[in-house]
Amino acid sequence: MSEAFALSFKLALITSLTLLVLGVPLAYTLVFKRFPAKPALEAALLMPLTLPPTVLGYYLLLLFAPDGALGRLGLKWAFKFEGIWLASVLFSLPFALTAYRESFQAVDVEVLEVTRTLGISAVRRWTHVIIPWIWPGLLSGTMLAFAHTLGEFGVVLMVGGNLPGETRVASIYIFDLVQAMEFEEATRASLIFVALSFLLILVVRTLETRWRSITSSNAR
Amino acid sequence: MEIDYQLERPLKLHARLFVNGLTVLLGESGSGKTSLLRAIAGLLHARGKPYGGLRPEYRRIGYLPQGYALVPHMTALENVALPLRGSDALRRAHYWLDRVGLDLKSKRRPHELSGGERQRIALARALAAEPRLLLLDEPTSALDATAREAAIDLIELIVSEENLPTLLVSHDPYIAARSDLLAVLENGAVRQQAPPHEVFSRPASLSIARMVGFTNIFPGKITASENGAVWIKTGDLTIFAPTESPIPKGAHVHWGIRPEEVMIVRPDRPLSAPLARNRLQARLSRLIKKGLIYVLKVSGAIDLEVLLPRHVQDRLQLHEGDLLELALKPAYIHLFSSG
Repeated sequence: MSEAFALSFKLALITSLTLLVLGVPLAYTLVFKRFPAKPALEAALLMPLTLPPTVLGYYLLLLFAPDGALGRLGLKWAFKFEGIWLASVLFSLPFALTAYRESFQAVDVEVLEVTRTLGISAVRRWTHVIIPWIWPGLLSGTMLAFAHTLGEFGVVLMVGGNLPGETRVASIYIFDLVQAMEFEEATRASLIFVALSFLLILVVRTLETRWRSITSSNAR
Repeated sequence: MEIDYQLERPLKLHARLFVNGLTVLLGESGSGKTSLLRAIAGLLHARGKPYGGLRPEYRRIGYLPQGYALVPHMTALENVALPLRGSDALRRAHYWLDRVGLDLKSKRRPHELSGGERQRIALARALAAEPRLLLLDEPTSALDATAREAAIDLIELIVSEENLPTLLVSHDPYIAARSDLLAVLENGAVRQQAPPHEVFSRPASLSIARMVGFTNIFPGKITASENGAVWIKTGDLTIFAPTESPIPKGAHVHWGIRPEEVMIVRPDRPLSAPLARNRLQARLSRLIKKGLIYVLKVSGAIDLEVLLPRHVQDRLQLHEGDLLELALKPAYIHLFSSG
């Protein structure tokens, strides 16, 4: 059991950190930049919300196949940890992105403009104004992505299969236990999930409340 | 400082004006005042002098938008220190907070401060960056009457102490009256620029007159003219008024007088000779109290609005229905050059 949970945590951690690095500039672009393809890009990025995980997994398998678009670049990631990592990133992106986007939307553009007239550099604007303003939102989005990745099942099973230590994450492990009618172990593992989910959501909600109390204070 | 800016978007605008001391740009809402300020600050694409083409970071312009744009997660002190670098940044931030009278509240965040206090923090922050020009967008629009008075007093004081050219845009004639120099923006251009008493007493157009509270305006026809003066007929009334340029007999003109400058003749005190002209009888139809000022609506040969300070009304004890004798001093009559 510990091996499966350790793998789940590793996957969730790497995935959520990847999303932080990838999602923040993406969210910034979606909020502050204007370009013609914006609605289409947004739709594509948010699509995993409605797409069946098996469909996403299926296409990734095709891409990772030796003659697939990614496979030909050397990324033969089917049934590998790297494969479920990429699948998780795509699958949890909408959750992180939505939270990041909300944080950026709370940033008053007028404040950013005035900091420019005050001669403040872009770096200082980010470190002193933007990041301290949005960090609770960034953290809650990242934790949400972490929790979501932890609970993933379909897309991981499609792309990664069920290889102990490599791709068999906790959710798949529980599925295996139930298949094998090992209900005692399945109950224990499931309880861990219930506790984890509750804790994570509690922290996310607390952060959001704190964040709103700061951002709404910009009342005029 | 001369400002000459041309905007294409979001509206067409070509503003040329001088900024000297506290300069107010008066304009109705939607006339492009905010866009002009944003363009001068470099936040809106425009052609113009000075600073044209420079990024906002390099213009050294203090810009206070209507919402003050304080950073919500920073204290008052941190906000003021934001543009400052170096070891004495905090000392200088304290100095500027003290200048706007808020050093005692340096640890408060914006949401713990009143609108007037937030504005003063924003002003201190703008000044801390040592600007060459200060731009203020409707600084009093969100404030109550007392805070408005205090705000304009402080702005006036700091601008003169720092000798900082300041352009304040507003639609409020009261603020306009407090300026060193007043410009009026209308239909995409500055139509008049002069000291405020001149704009208030001699508005360049009927619409500027309306903006500055010049309520008594009448059409008339020139019936006679002699050097430096004309007689204008409006209804049954003939008005004598001095003019700077000759106007031909028979011309149609508009003339007017500010409601503050209509005089009520006291029966026990006959007026001197110049005021013997332009006399009319009128009945007081309405008496409206506006704070310490009384607004009188009188009707006679023409309908006039008259403003009386409270102490005058206390002496005269006027009532609705009273018959009054009014005098329109020729020097206070303004002839509009164009319709």
